[in-house]
Amino acid sequence: MEKLGAQFPLISISMLIPTLGSFFVVLLPERFTKGISLISTGITFLISLYSLTLFDFSKGDVVQFYEHYPIIPELGISLSLGLDGLSMLMYLLTTLVSLVAVLWSVRDKQINHRIKEYFLWFLLTESFLIGVFASWDLIVFYVFYELTLVPMLFVIGIWGYKLRLYSAYKFFIYIFISSLFLLLGTVSLAVQHYKLFGRFSFSYFDLMNNDYPLGLGIFLFMLFFIAFAVKTPIVPFHTWLPDAHGEAPTAGSIVLAAILLKMGTYALFRFNIGLFPKVVAFLMPILVLWGIFSIMMASWFTISQKNLKRFVAYSSISHMGFVVTSMFLLNLEGFRASIMEMFAHGLTSASLFMIAGFIYNRLHSFNMDALKGSAKFMPLFAIITVITAYSSMGLPGGSSFWGKFLTVLSAREYTTQLALLVIAGAFFSVIYMLYLMKVLFLDTKEESRLVHFADIRGFKLSAFLLLVIPMFMVGLLPSLFFNIFDMSVKKLLLYVMHKLIGG
Amino acid sequence: MELRDLIGSIEFPKMALIIPELIVLLTGFLIFTLDLIFKRANYRLYTWISVVGYFMAMLYIAFNPSLSGSTFYGLYVRDYFSSFLQFFMILLTIFVLAFTYHYYKQKLSLYREFYYILSFALVSAMFLASSYNLITLYVALEGVSISFYILTALLRGDFNAKEGAFKYLILGGLSIALASYGAVFMYIYAGSLDLQKILTYSGQNKDLLILGLVFFLIGFAIKIGAVPFHFWLPDAYQGAPTPITAYMASVGKLAFFAPVVRIMPLVQEHFAYAWVITVGIISAMTMLYGNLVALVQKDVKRLLAYSSIAHSGYILAGIAVAKAIGLKAVLYFLVAYALMGAGSFLLLALLERNPQWENRMEEFSGLRFSMPWIAVSFMIFMFSLLGVPPSVGFVGKALVFTALSFDRLWWLAFVMILSTGISTGYYVRLVVLTFMKESSKSIKVESSFAEKVVIFVLTLSVVILGAVPIIIWSFASQSADILFKR
Repeated sequence: MEKLGAQFPLISISMLIPTLGSFFVVLLPERFTKGISLISTGITFLISLYSLTLFDFSKGDVVQFYEHYPIIPELGISLSLGLDGLSMLMYLLTTLVSLVAVLWSVRDKQINHRIKEYFLWFLLTESFLIGVFASWDLIVFYVFYELTLVPMLFVIGIWGYKLRLYSAYKFFIYIFISSLFLLLGTVSLAVQHYKLFGRFSFSYFDLMNNDYPLGLGIFLFMLFFIAFAVKTPIVPFHTWLPDAHGEAPTAGSIVLAAILLKMGTYALFRFNIGLFPKVVAFLMPILVLWGIFSIMMASWFTISQKNLKRFVAYSSISHMGFVVTSMFLLNLEGFRASIMEMFAHGLTSASLFMIAGFIYNRLHSFNMDALKGSAKFMPLFAIITVITAYSSMGLPGGSSFWGKFLTVLSAREYTTQLALLVIAGAFFSVIYMLYLMKVLFLDTKEESRLVHFADIRGFKLSAFLLLVIPMFMVGLLPSLFFNIFDMSVKKLLLYVMHKLIGG
Repeated sequence: MELRDLIGSIEFPKMALIIPELIVLLTGFLIFTLDLIFKRANYRLYTWISVVGYFMAMLYIAFNPSLSGSTFYGLYVRDYFSSFLQFFMILLTIFVLAFTYHYYKQKLSLYREFYYILSFALVSAMFLASSYNLITLYVALEGVSISFYILTALLRGDFNAKEGAFKYLILGGLSIALASYGAVFMYIYAGSLDLQKILTYSGQNKDLLILGLVFFLIGFAIKIGAVPFHFWLPDAYQGAPTPITAYMASVGKLAFFAPVVRIMPLVQEHFAYAWVITVGIISAMTMLYGNLVALVQKDVKRLLAYSSIAHSGYILAGIAVAKAIGLKAVLYFLVAYALMGAGSFLLLALLERNPQWENRMEEFSGLRFSMPWIAVSFMIFMFSLLGVPPSVGFVGKALVFTALSFDRLWWLAFVMILSTGISTGYYVRLVVLTFMKESSKSIKVESSFAEKVVIFVLTLSVVILGAVPIIIWSFASQSADILFKR
């Protein structure tokens, strides 16, 4: 893969700004905390937009803004940061959602104690997440991947709801243990590189040249797959997610669902497909069917939920099922669908968790029965909810539409039956969203039990708008986003095909 | 024969090589003499003499890193490896010293023997790191062990301390007996006391070599705390005064592992396969046992003692890979654990200064509110012991994984993943208690300036040396390359 050096270390600066902000949060008194957090996430978002204008779309497959600082030359470890089209999109999503999360937290009633720590953790998370999506060295990737766990442990454990300690504990243990497999896999790749080429290297570009016998390949693939399957999550490994997402404070759930899950799918795409093309082709039928199974099971789980947050959490799992399915279909439409769905889900799930958080602030309950008819007094809120829900279920014009539509198309390239199976999965996701809408808007309670609520406004409305506008953009002008990552996806597909034919 | 030739054949000892040891030894003797002369002990003076002496020795090593050679007819070897380990031994001893005065005063157990016994322990530990000779190793091993028995029992009124010291004495005596027994067999096999010659000698009766090496290594396994030879360790660690526990977990670990690490390049010749299997199985047992038992502990000091056993297991996993990459990983991990172990036990020592503190796990709840910076530092040590990046613990584990993957020891790697997974349970529980539970009881401890500095330096070094691993790595790598070239 080619690299285009950075004129100016834009990415490391955008990583440093939230970290710097967190220092100020610690040092200055509490009344400055919220302002500093808003400013530093805002600046980071602006930098990401600025980097988009500098991004050369005609060279979307080239790693741009590339920076390289050696850490241990003897082991081939270096801090190498850069963005190709795919990571550019994830970078944008990270900065946008972090801004939204901070914007939401400023007025969140749940966050009423230890405010300095809270914003400190969010700012650090943003830095780490940018590191995850921008690093091209596997060990550095692992370091950032693991580091995101620590802030989330604290955010869930301190500011969460009733079961917060249990959920925080479970979240940390699941992900930490699964990612130990990733560590073993990563160092094994470097050792394999040493055995083939006579020097250690953890660089993604070098490791792409590795070649494995099929058995060893499957073994290493599985080491990576376990970690990312738990993170994504794919259905038998999903049990940490409803607890963590359900018990985290709203902003925590936003970051968890919108970005942390994408770390799993992004890594599956980048590493499992990029580094083991032959193994993926060999295991393709199993992986695709596993993904479809995941969609269906998660959809069924979703329908049976009474707790709004757990409902949204389970719906995330089914969306991730789409991402995984389309990714492993190994054709252009599938790749495009997968990445588009990642981005779209980042927007819709964040919005859905904000809806849940908003209702909790008003009603002090996540129980779906308590929500009945609650939208009656909040027309603005109702409109936003409807837009989000339609986007999420994949109605044309909504953001998830392209992901689902292209998945069906790419499945059709194999057999019609497979496409029908995918459509059935999509059908379930429509059912649960419509169910949510029915509860929120169509069911009514006796007049006496209704309470009047103030409609959404101010900070929270602006947080919503930051998500709803990109949602429309994805739905109506998808080419804007396809442009960003199409080149890198095509390059990856070419590479996979080249390896399969036997290069 | 002319007189000139006779004199020429006698090698005059190269004293430049052992200057650090001499300085430490003289420091000990100086305090000993002062203690004899003056009736009333001046503890502050003793502390300063020790610190200055150790510091001089440390500086000597730091400014002559490439000093190497062997002297006393091969009884003593100084190379990169020994300088590297000795530097950290002296540094950690200074750190431990900062905590002793207030601790012993609060426990009403301030004895002046402490200061010179510490010196003798340190000088023996330094000799352990720098010899291939069985006799030197034996004497140094005795020196460290006897000093440790006394230091462990130094809380004279405490029953636990006596029990721990007694167990340590009995099992430690056994280990030394076994080691010397093994040494005898090896001497019979090769007719030499030099391990380099013994392990590369191809003689007739290889059974003697195997028997000898096994006994010799069992002796060290007892000292390291490898399962199933670990029974003294939790009791001794729990019973000992906590700064001494920190000393045993840091300097003790470095010292007892040093000879085992030193012979790693030499075992390829006769034991390539047997070494991997034996050390691998012991390592697997140690990791699993240490972590499983730590999981059910209620006493944090005992928990950390079991975690120390578990870490011996991780280090042994690296030792099982008797290649250069394994040695590098082991060296890194040894220093990493010495820093983390010293840090976590010294924090406990600090907290124990509060008379209400009993090292129970629940007492950590609410620590974040009463002593926020201590809580943060404790969190960093726990995450480092667990292996969360970017800490030295993580880099150590990643390097051990690299070594295991190099030898394709997948089963051992999976045992390591499993046991690290088990360890998540208790480390994260401690962090959760410290930061997320609130408690009505608030524990406060006044810490001295020196203590603050030491805790700060240790905490920072755990993070910085993990984020910038090249600092330790370059030394570890060079030491390993030199050992393997020989």
